[in-house]
Amino acid sequence: MGDFSVRRKIFSFGCMVIGVAMMIAGLYMAITLTDFWGVRGTLIIAGCVAFFVGLYFFPTFKHHRGIINFMFLFPLLFAFAVTVIIPLVLGIGYSFTDWDGITLNKFVKFDNYTRMFHEPQFLWSVLITFLFVVLNIVLVNLVAFLLALLCTSKLKGLGFFRAAYFVPNLIGGIVLGYIWQFIFSKVVTEILNSQASMLTETKTALIGIVLVYVWQYAGYIMLIYITGLNTVPGDVLEASSIDGANSWQTLFQIKIPMIAPTITICTFLTLTSAFKQFDVNLSLTNGTGSVNFMGKFLSKGTQMLALNIYDTAFVNNEYAYGEAKAVFFFIILAIVSICQVRISNKKEVEL
Amino acid sequence: MRKRLLSVLMVGAMASSLVACGQPNTANNGGSNSQGGGASADSSAVRLLNGKPEIDSQLQDLAKLYKEETGNELIVETIGGDTNASDELKKMYQAGNMPDIFVIEANQAASWDGKLADLKGEDWTNNTEFELVDDSMGTIGFPYTVEATALGYNADVLKAAGVDPSTLTSPDAYAEAFKKLDSKKDELGIKAVLGWCAEPSNLGWSSGTHVFGQYLDAGLAADDTTYIDLLNDGGQVDHDRMLAFAEFVGMMNQYSDPDLLVDGTYDEQVAGFKAGDYAFITQGNWCVTSPDDVDFECGFAPYAFEDGIDTIIAGPPSYWVAYADGNVDGAKAFFNWCAGDSAQNILVNDAGLVSPFSDCQYEAVNPFYASMKTYIDAGKFSGWHTMLKKDGLQNQTCQVFADYAQGKLDAESFTTTIEQVIKDYYAN
Repeated sequence: MGDFSVRRKIFSFGCMVIGVAMMIAGLYMAITLTDFWGVRGTLIIAGCVAFFVGLYFFPTFKHHRGIINFMFLFPLLFAFAVTVIIPLVLGIGYSFTDWDGITLNKFVKFDNYTRMFHEPQFLWSVLITFLFVVLNIVLVNLVAFLLALLCTSKLKGLGFFRAAYFVPNLIGGIVLGYIWQFIFSKVVTEILNSQASMLTETKTALIGIVLVYVWQYAGYIMLIYITGLNTVPGDVLEASSIDGANSWQTLFQIKIPMIAPTITICTFLTLTSAFKQFDVNLSLTNGTGSVNFMGKFLSKGTQMLALNIYDTAFVNNEYAYGEAKAVFFFIILAIVSICQVRISNKKEVEL
Repeated sequence: MRKRLLSVLMVGAMASSLVACGQPNTANNGGSNSQGGGASADSSAVRLLNGKPEIDSQLQDLAKLYKEETGNELIVETIGGDTNASDELKKMYQAGNMPDIFVIEANQAASWDGKLADLKGEDWTNNTEFELVDDSMGTIGFPYTVEATALGYNADVLKAAGVDPSTLTSPDAYAEAFKKLDSKKDELGIKAVLGWCAEPSNLGWSSGTHVFGQYLDAGLAADDTTYIDLLNDGGQVDHDRMLAFAEFVGMMNQYSDPDLLVDGTYDEQVAGFKAGDYAFITQGNWCVTSPDDVDFECGFAPYAFEDGIDTIIAGPPSYWVAYADGNVDGAKAFFNWCAGDSAQNILVNDAGLVSPFSDCQYEAVNPFYASMKTYIDAGKFSGWHTMLKKDGLQNQTCQVFADYAQGKLDAESFTTTIEQVIKDYYAN
């Protein structure tokens, strides 16, 4: 500390103190909704800049590098905090209230959390979401892997096939849902000569959602598998063929074990994205379909978890209750993802 | 030294760009005063949030005329299509960016409790019976249009078949008329008697709100809230009335176009009616807005599921309200001007709306207007109390209508199922 001039110390501390004071004044105006002389925004920004100038000239050698690192990281951390961390904390806070998007009357403790487990519709949504996830992990990966095998073979027109399988993924889920709604209700009914489309019946509508989802997502996962398969070293394959391995043995004992990391990534991707399934669900059936569950007639037989949360908050105007469901959803996703990554990593090590 | 100079320059550039970014924002805050919400008296511009995208250009014309005639400024912002105005309003409220006038449906009034201006005693309230009055908040809603829903009919087809729509005031009369029309389908050139669609995912609002609303209001005086009060008291349903309603809906299912009934769309339903494929349609006056759309006369018949029901549902489906912390005086001035002659000219003749004001001299161009007017003049209209049911209920009940249409339920099980669904929804 002794190596620095008094002027520099005064300048540094002065800048920081003035900066903090300006920011507090600006924030105070923002909170109390007053704005003298229209300088609210300028105060906050100028205060922030002054603070950082002071920080840059902070009289230290030992921590100077750390300060510089922090200054460069700060914009990113700040943006991350504003868009992710603060909403997460606020959301958890709101889930303990009766907030309806406009007014907040009281804290209701854990009422929203206990309430969701007494709501048959929500339990049904959880159930079919898990079912959907399991079906999708298996089907998407299977279809994607088979397509990848096809696209790494020596067929003619491979570029076309790769592009064709991938294109569905480029169409947004909402558009895709409406296109398939038309196909199911106008084209398929014409072909099967049936009166009503399969989307009007809960069971067949769920199959419809799975079909559309696999069709959309398999192309994307296929690309990752293709990359994986291309990294299998040619000399290993050559050695196996010299040793007399047939194509099945090559596939199961060389290719698949060699691409285990790819399989991890793909199952992880399909798992989380299937859990969060929303857009196709919304546009294809909007959750409709009757079902008898726990002795009740439920109107939203194909409503998955994400859509249930959306409907609770934005259609039924119960923001806090929707928020509580979202927190529950977040916990499930976090647990499942962590477990999945742990288990897969263990397997990779064993290989 | 050079390096240091460069870094100082860079920091200076960064800082000035940040300040520059901040600048227009603050200028904006000072200017429009909508952000702060605190001091807005000096500003005369009024911001209106419109929820009907189809009349956006007409409202822009209205704003221009308002500026011309009074010198005051009106800024129209339009939300709509798939974006829900009430969602957008919540975001605006959280951001402290509330418009001075915005659109609400009747059942949303409660969530804005204490935040809406009381418009009691304004001049325009003397010329209409359609303003939104709330027990605790007073006169809060300005009606900008009146819409009606009942069984819309193609008068030419009914005439050709020898059915007099004025006799359709009992289930028996309907049974007879439907049977007659059905037997003469080929002769009349229609595809089916009714264009009724119970598809739940895109048309749930039609069955769950509008058709269900007939159970709540058909046959009742406009201010009679018997069944909506019962419903909002824990989700109770009058079993006998619901059963009669269910039997009527069963008849509708029977005579509706089977291609439309279970998985049709709004567009197909309306296009079919416009093309003259159906004698009846289960929509309101919004489905045919221009006389150019149809080459036949249109009218409304009541949902007579009990003997003697002879009313249609008519009233404003949504209202314009003034935000209490906004420019209330500006909003009040605009409402008074909007109820006047020059504004009504644009709203009625250009936007195709039906005026809720009794002193309005313009006849709406809507093909259903003549029929609506006879009902309203005779006092034979019921309220839109279906808008007062619990938010989201329509998304639950519409599936029961769909199952009934698919033949999974009969009238009795429809009634018990819808009772259970409503009760559960209110209980949760």
